Amino acid sequence: MSRLPRASGHFRTSYAQDFRLIQTPLERRWLAALLVALLTFPFIASPFLTDLASQALLAMVGAMALMLLTGFAGQVSLGHAGLLAAGAFTAGILFRETGAPFWMTLPAAALVGAFLGVVFGLPSLRLRGLYLAVSTLALHFLVAYVGGEYESKRGFSTGIVIDPPVIAGKAVTDPRAWYFILLTAAVLTLLVCLNLLRSRSGRAWAAIRANETVAEALGIGVAANKLLAFVISSMLTSLAGALFAYYRGFVSVEAFSLFLSIQYVAMIIIGGMGSVLGAILGAVFVTLFPYLIEAVMQLLPGAGAYAGVMFAVNYAAFGVVMILFLVLEPQGLVGIWRRVQTYFLLWPFKHKPVAGARR
Amino acid sequence: MRAPPLLRSLDDLRSMTAPALLLQRARTHPHVVAFRAKKRGVYIERSWAQYAALVAHTAKGLAALGLATGDRVAIMADACEEWPVADLAAQSLGAVVYGIYPTASAEEVEYQMRDGGAVAFIAEDQEYVDKILPLAERLPALRHVIVVDETALFALEHDKVTTFREMVDAGRDADHAWLEARVAQVKPEQAAFIVYTSGTTGHPKGALVSHGKHLAATRSVAAQYPTLNAKPHRTVAYLPLCHVLGRDIAVTLPLLTELVPHMGESVEDLPNTLFEVAPTVLFTVPRYLQKLASQVLVGISGTSGLKRVAYERAMAFAREHVKRRWTGSPSGATEAAQALWRALVFRPILNKIGFDKVELVVSGGAPLPAETMAFWHMLGVNVVEMYGQTETAGGIIAGQRGPFPRPGDVGTVPEGFEVKLADDGEILVRSADLFDGYWGNREASDAVFGGDGWMRTGDVGEWRDGKLKLVDRARDFLVTSGGKTISPSFIENILRASPFVGEAIVFGHGRKYLVALIEIDFDTVADWARTNDVPYTGFTSLAQNPRIEKLIRDDIDKANAQLARVEQIKAFRILPKVLDPEEEGEPVTPTRKVKRNQMYERFKPLVEAMYDDKEERLLAESATGVLA
Repeated sequence: MSRLPRASGHFRTSYAQDFRLIQTPLERRWLAALLVALLTFPFIASPFLTDLASQALLAMVGAMALMLLTGFAGQVSLGHAGLLAAGAFTAGILFRETGAPFWMTLPAAALVGAFLGVVFGLPSLRLRGLYLAVSTLALHFLVAYVGGEYESKRGFSTGIVIDPPVIAGKAVTDPRAWYFILLTAAVLTLLVCLNLLRSRSGRAWAAIRANETVAEALGIGVAANKLLAFVISSMLTSLAGALFAYYRGFVSVEAFSLFLSIQYVAMIIIGGMGSVLGAILGAVFVTLFPYLIEAVMQLLPGAGAYAGVMFAVNYAAFGVVMILFLVLEPQGLVGIWRRVQTYFLLWPFKHKPVAGARR
Repeated sequence: MRAPPLLRSLDDLRSMTAPALLLQRARTHPHVVAFRAKKRGVYIERSWAQYAALVAHTAKGLAALGLATGDRVAIMADACEEWPVADLAAQSLGAVVYGIYPTASAEEVEYQMRDGGAVAFIAEDQEYVDKILPLAERLPALRHVIVVDETALFALEHDKVTTFREMVDAGRDADHAWLEARVAQVKPEQAAFIVYTSGTTGHPKGALVSHGKHLAATRSVAAQYPTLNAKPHRTVAYLPLCHVLGRDIAVTLPLLTELVPHMGESVEDLPNTLFEVAPTVLFTVPRYLQKLASQVLVGISGTSGLKRVAYERAMAFAREHVKRRWTGSPSGATEAAQALWRALVFRPILNKIGFDKVELVVSGGAPLPAETMAFWHMLGVNVVEMYGQTETAGGIIAGQRGPFPRPGDVGTVPEGFEVKLADDGEILVRSADLFDGYWGNREASDAVFGGDGWMRTGDVGEWRDGKLKLVDRARDFLVTSGGKTISPSFIENILRASPFVGEAIVFGHGRKYLVALIEIDFDTVADWARTNDVPYTGFTSLAQNPRIEKLIRDDIDKANAQLARVEQIKAFRILPKVLDPEEEGEPVTPTRKVKRNQMYERFKPLVEAMYDDKEERLLAESATGVLA
């Protein structure tokens, strides 16, 4: 991680300081401002916007989990929707069958996720790239099949209804309360990811992504670390799925189509591969995108006439945006963010002045 | 809790030694940070107690090697933790320390080893070991070569070579009391160290300085800049410690004031060290200020759009503002405007080079060009100039107190020193705290002291409003065939103001006009070449490129505009190679002062060529304007 501080006068007197998440007072101030903004948001925004924000926060958890696996450990996965479904169904089935409270269903979902992570991580020891992606697809269909079977055999053919979770004796139904629950989940996921990445496993993953053979030669347990990446990523995703189930109050196999997997892959590509911030930005972008398209369509003359094709337009626009990002901005949103940041960090220089540039 | 004030009286200091001061500091401020030295990426903090312990261990280790009172120890190293530690350790034993420039050539090393007669040679790493070992047989006095960084030494078997670590380990059982007992035996009037002056003529002379006088003399720096004792200050120690200024910064001033030196991992890493440390006080030589200023200017020249507009507006304002500041009449409104420009433009610039927290930059060692000082003043950096000599034992003859003094003079004379001008303008200094004389060179010592108690500096000065102004250093004048007396260093300074000129040497003694040899500043010129699509492969190809010649010519024309007719440079040549003091027979001293005579000998064809075809060429040149 060892990045240089952005402002002068921050020298380290121990290695522990090298690992600090917050390096300079300026960073601390910006972070505090962001936190205040996030905490006051639901009290200012309309319930619709709060719901939108909650969706984005939920997507962030899944996107960060996928970023860990694909963006950092370099293992492609198309089974993301399957894992979300696994988490959602675990919570749904446990609730339906045993009436278990959410503090039991969530860990159970995590356990199922971890198990699936091991199972579907195993092919990654032999397969790479496209072949691995195809093998993870199997996960998706497997979970979808099991979930569908359960639904039809138990007579919930339209889906499983879940009661809202009860915290401190009160059922959580208020959008604001959900916003804070999901914000906490997203922040915790973020901290887990950042801590993993600045630790031994994070460095091992970076090495594996760069070159497996070299990583092995460096003494990194490639197999173990790959599996670890799958397990952690799957656990987080499964948890996100369970949260999704509670948030919607409803689990149905239709919600976890292959398109959802594509959306998550899109999040990390649009956000910017290999960056946790990228996963966050990508999750926000992909969540808001359909609403954005809808808003644009509303502005067009004769808006009513397009209502029927909205769905198709959405898909098409999504595809176009993906292609544009891949062609024009492979670094994703985080690349744009970094360029803006660099502009101000270098101010009033254009490039680093000679002294620094030589390094 | 600060029982005795840090800055003691002159009399107090005259009766003390640096190791004794260290022991006192370790008693009164055991847990306060004395210095920080970067090793493997982190700045290791040493408290005064740890510092004293390190010195005690090293002193005992040195004693175990047989070092006794009056023995000489040579240290060849860049600014690093072990330099001050070894220095104070040797001083504690009554030994005399001298430093050899890390950039010194083998011939120079041999001369200083022979002249100083060191019994121990402390080398920073294998590079210096390689320099000393071939000479070891020819130096009868040399008994030990002690190596600090032993990484490249494996499989080296030599009966004189020991490692610094082994030596310190041998003295591990020494404590403060042991050190105290040894230090008590060292008398303040005993010799403490030798500083070799980088003579631009002949071999360097070793100025011998005693303990008490050095402390009392260095007090003048602390007295001239009271901020050093007002609060803790961070500084970066990077100047070679074999120079008296480098020693003041890394060893003596921290003992007298609250200055905390920071040493980078390597001297080449200085830009990074400055950035990380963001010093609040910086002592430097003009060369670094010029180089940094060039880097800022070249960096800005490549910027565009809003950034350029902001910079130009800010500079336009600052240009007027410094003039008001120098005359001492800035109004509240202009101060506010300057503060705004500082926040918008100057602070971000200074931040990149680690200068945004600096409150005081003291330039010494060589004359600081007025343009350079003005530039830093515009950016809001309080640069002041001081004037001292090796012979003033670490003290200064004069120093600008500031803040933001008008460039041109070197300020007022501090407490403890008296200055008068001889009839011919030579600056004469009298003080109780000067050096003891040149090592093994009675004649030179007598010549400098002259028998009347006034030390001859060899520099020519004049008084201006109670402030000392240096007219020329070391009476380096040349007289043209037209009979005009000209100070080449004055012109060279103006030439060096160009960011692209690294070194300029002016010739013209007994000639019709002045010419110059120019060494380009590789970094800035290469940067310019890249942004302007000039292809090059290395220094020589860059130096010979016609577009670079044009670039330098434009800057020389600019400089000529500031000069009187007789002082103008009529022709110049760009040196095809870098001046490297480490090379044998190169016409620069280890501090990169140019030896003018040797320079002429070395590059005679280049210089003469400027006179040969000159008339024809001048004619042709003026004609092209007409014909084109």
